[in-house]
Amino acid sequence: MAKWGMVIDLDKCTGCQACTTACSMENNTLPGENWQDVLYYHEGQYPSAQMKWLPRPCMQCESPSCVHVCPTRATYKDMDAGGIVFVDWNKCIGCKYCMIACPYGVRFYADEKPLLEPDLRDIFPGEGGQVWSPPYQNPEEDWRRGIGIQPKGVVSKCTFCYHRVSKAPPGTPDLDEDNPDLKEYVPACVRTCPPKARFFGDLDNPSSEVNRLIGDKHGVRLLDHTGNRPQVYYLGAGAGVPAFTPKTKS
Amino acid sequence: MSNEAVMQDAPRDGGVPILTLLVALIAIGVGIYASLPLLAEGHSAFNTTSNLAWGLPVVAYVFLALSSTGLAMVSSLAMVFGWKDFYPIAKRCLWLAVALLIAGFISLALELGHPFRMLWAIPLNLQVQSPLFWMGVWYLIALVFMVVKLALLQKEEWSTSASRTVGIATFVSEILAAVTLALVFGMMAMRPYWYGSFVPVYFLVTAALSGVAFATLFTFFAHGLGTSSMSPRMTHLMTETMPKIFAALLGTVLVLAVARVITGLWSNQPEIALVTRHFVDSPWFHVQLWLGMVLPFILLLSPKLRVQPIIQLLAAVLVLLGVFIGRYEYIVGGQLVPLFKGTWYPDLIAYTPSMAEWGIVLFGVGIGLLIYAIGMWMFRLDDAPADAR
Repeated sequence: MAKWGMVIDLDKCTGCQACTTACSMENNTLPGENWQDVLYYHEGQYPSAQMKWLPRPCMQCESPSCVHVCPTRATYKDMDAGGIVFVDWNKCIGCKYCMIACPYGVRFYADEKPLLEPDLRDIFPGEGGQVWSPPYQNPEEDWRRGIGIQPKGVVSKCTFCYHRVSKAPPGTPDLDEDNPDLKEYVPACVRTCPPKARFFGDLDNPSSEVNRLIGDKHGVRLLDHTGNRPQVYYLGAGAGVPAFTPKTKS
Repeated sequence: MSNEAVMQDAPRDGGVPILTLLVALIAIGVGIYASLPLLAEGHSAFNTTSNLAWGLPVVAYVFLALSSTGLAMVSSLAMVFGWKDFYPIAKRCLWLAVALLIAGFISLALELGHPFRMLWAIPLNLQVQSPLFWMGVWYLIALVFMVVKLALLQKEEWSTSASRTVGIATFVSEILAAVTLALVFGMMAMRPYWYGSFVPVYFLVTAALSGVAFATLFTFFAHGLGTSSMSPRMTHLMTETMPKIFAALLGTVLVLAVARVITGLWSNQPEIALVTRHFVDSPWFHVQLWLGMVLPFILLLSPKLRVQPIIQLLAAVLVLLGVFIGRYEYIVGGQLVPLFKGTWYPDLIAYTPSMAEWGIVLFGVGIGLLIYAIGMWMFRLDDAPADAR
């Protein structure tokens, strides 16, 4: 079985948020429920001030702290699904401990005050257990893997678009959106990336492009000191998270 | 030891139980009213967010559950460690520990997305890696043992081998519960404000402090805020032994709390230093330090003052306020620095509990008080074995 990994080249990324938009359209997430996001950081001061940005999907960690803390095994790492970390919405009790334990802030509890008014949950009230039911939605749904529109009172997160990835022919080393035979299996954020800054492939396959990029271009994992060992690697200058400095103190 | 029990002079009918019941019903009523938005909007009625996931209900749960542990410690002084001076309040403390634990469970359950699913999903999936799992296991076991122990005490079984075994089991499970509750936070290395293997020590000492404060408060309340209706033995306990233990625990907590603040301010680590500075700049911190710790400590140090019930009551109320603020600072503090959010959250996360959050806490406390009031009628909470008169 593959071990799916993502490589994000920060020297190519323009911070355009197309990935974030594609993700929310693919997965019908609510505003603020950003399974994929681009985070912007300021670092330093004039004359050496920098602006940097980091696209952030779920890191699908090799040693995921969210999985270790979940009291019901609702969140689990599925080695038969490429090592993707899923949330089983039938088992999640909404204790939110996984959100506490995830160092990357990739988990969302949609049962909260709306980020934007008017509340889309009032405009498209939920049907069939969904927290909201927009008129156009991805027909793919698998609550055991947290795919689709979530029900109330559970935690949701990026699934590496498993509903697409899982249909790829077994043994495929890389899911490249430029390959017409494979493009339908590529995660939405990777497929849509205009400067082709994102790559998706099998970390267990020695001949995969993602492995070559990580090796040749010095791929790093963010916040690596937490020991979670992400399956998402970053290339290029700026692959690091600056220390937290509050706006009011900077 | 004789199994013959004596009835001491606790007023079981009349003013105090009725007042307790009244306060309980008011708390339940106001609690339900304030948490009505929860029924209409779900957890949108809370001010917690995906970035600050654990708010006031969790704070209240930790406060109440650890107070339950503290009360179990106080009652164990007599029933496990054979310090007979403590028999006169042992049963009351035990029942209060049950009531506060249930109050805490209610607060926590109403905070969950699916409280009923928890009932089957946790036992059927046995995630033994999760500290939350063990915390639930130990507190549930403790609750069962406490109820069994109380049933045995009702049958005047103060020191039969079964009663002693259940007493030891109660003590051990309450301690393990508090320790795993501490590890729920203490093991989170990604949240430096929480992290540390000595969090269990801090939780146990503060649990003992809040247990002694609750024991003081409720014993004096049950006896009309004075010692006139107490047996000589209970009077001795409540005016001599108890305030000294109260002072010693408060002094210990004061040292630990000040050490924690100084460490926090000294540190360069933003997650620790910024959060500590944020709290030190808040008036609540000073309420906690000066009113919640220093003032009661001074009051309890004075031999003339600490024998007076009114001074002890004042100290107990102030200490409980201080401990509650401390719990709030600890639990909310670990979440104030946004984790990997960039400029979307450029400052410490702002959080003020909503009315609905206060409502479910009040509802839980009201149910706890109701359970306690029922115990005042049904059980002789001042009971003690004959040789402990």
